Amino acid sequence: MNSGPALVSILRQGDTLVASVHTALDDSEMVRFQHDLVRQIGEHRARGIIIDVAALDVIDSFASRTLRSIADIARLRGAVTVIVGIQPDVAFAMVCLGMDMGEVPTALDLEEGLAYLSRLRGLGSSHG
Amino acid sequence: MSTARATNEPQESGGAADVAALIPMLRRIVAARIGQHPAAEDLVQETLLRVLAAEDRIEPGMLEPYAIATVRNVMATMWRQDDRDARNQHRIHDPSEPDEAEEVVVASEEQSAITEALRRLTDREREVLLAHEVSGRATQSLAEETGSTANAVAAQLKRTRARLRVEYLLALERTEPPTDRCRAVLMALSSADRRRQREVDAARHLLECDLCARLSQPLLGRGPVRDNEIHVPISADPDIVAARSAAREMAVRAGFAGADLTMLATAVSEVARNIVRFASTGEVTVELLEQPRPGIRVVARDTGPGIADVDRALEDGYSTYQGLGLGLPGARRLMDEFNIVSETGHGTTVSMTKWFDTKGRG
Ligand SMILES: [Zn+2]
Repeated sequence: MNSGPALVSILRQGDTLVASVHTALDDSEMVRFQHDLVRQIGEHRARGIIIDVAALDVIDSFASRTLRSIADIARLRGAVTVIVGIQPDVAFAMVCLGMDMGEVPTALDLEEGLAYLSRLRGLGSSHG
Repeated sequence: MSTARATNEPQESGGAADVAALIPMLRRIVAARIGQHPAAEDLVQETLLRVLAAEDRIEPGMLEPYAIATVRNVMATMWRQDDRDARNQHRIHDPSEPDEAEEVVVASEEQSAITEALRRLTDREREVLLAHEVSGRATQSLAEETGSTANAVAAQLKRTRARLRVEYLLALERTEPPTDRCRAVLMALSSADRRRQREVDAARHLLECDLCARLSQPLLGRGPVRDNEIHVPISADPDIVAARSAAREMAVRAGFAGADLTMLATAVSEVARNIVRFASTGEVTVELLEQPRPGIRVVARDTGPGIADVDRALEDGYSTYQGLGLGLPGARRLMDEFNIVSETGHGTTVSMTKWFDTKGRG
């Protein structure tokens, strides 16, 4: 994989994968991140994905689209994705750009993301 | 020094008069080393030309030390050359000294390039330049001779020097420029005339012309380093990140803050990506503006195929390549001013500006 400090880390916590982006990613790195994460969803049979983007100072059209497509692929594989940590300025620029996270749920930070996922799971188990 | 100076003589000629004032000292230094050698006066003249060519780069007060270092180099080169000529007569190529051999070649090429460059000036240009720089004649007296003004003569001298530098570099390359525009562009760069550079669209020409791109390095290296303008070459994904970081850093250094920084960086990211995807190579220039108010201007240029229908490319959702249609209209919304010029077969230039409200947003 990468030499040097990791650009992204993906950690497993039960059936949840927590992916943290540590620094600005260029388009190729973004695509590699997508592949790595999607592969791990299958490997670990993850049910929840949290992507922490607090370290990103720019989420442009390519990054937004990649994040959305990760969420779409994860959904098709039975996992729910939550994007956490979008900085207020970044969110503002995304709105101006005409990009948003679409149907993908977002949360303030990692803690809220985890809480969101466990709430969903609670709903899911109470229904069957 | 006894050169009379008219009161209205332009400031600029002070430096040139100083160059002329170096002559006696240089003659002394040369004479001390080589006596009444026939090449003595040539060495002095060549040193003067080198000092002259480098004048803009020399710090105030450093002219004399610079000239002394230069005359020593000029003499040492001649020395080494004579020495090597003598040795090489009874020796075949010695691969252990490639650098020195190269040095000598470079030095003699430089010398003939200076001669050639001088030859390419018009008689009038050469005459005035030498009268002023070598004989130390003041612009005022040169002006009286021709019924001109000291300011006009000073301006002419400045142009001549700029042209000398251009012709010197061309002579050094042993080449004629490939297009009609080259000399105009090189002159605009050499004279550090930013308005003229814009008029001849120098930045775009440098993208398209390899020769001028190469020559622009020494020409641009002359003037004071401008820290209010950055050029980021764009050819691959990492350059997109580099361009937007450069824009953000410049804005931060200028004291800007807040959401505007992110909007600026995001817009730069979009236009830089367009270059990578559609044109493969180009550049992004980030410039700090002070007039009419503080702001950042970003110009993204490429030499790609151009956009056939600019209006359509600015429509939301229009996409020619993997859904990238959001790039341009998105960037336009993020910036305060946005302009795009595209010529099929020649490339695209996107210029956009973000104004920063220093009195706080409201
Ligand atoms: Zn050219």
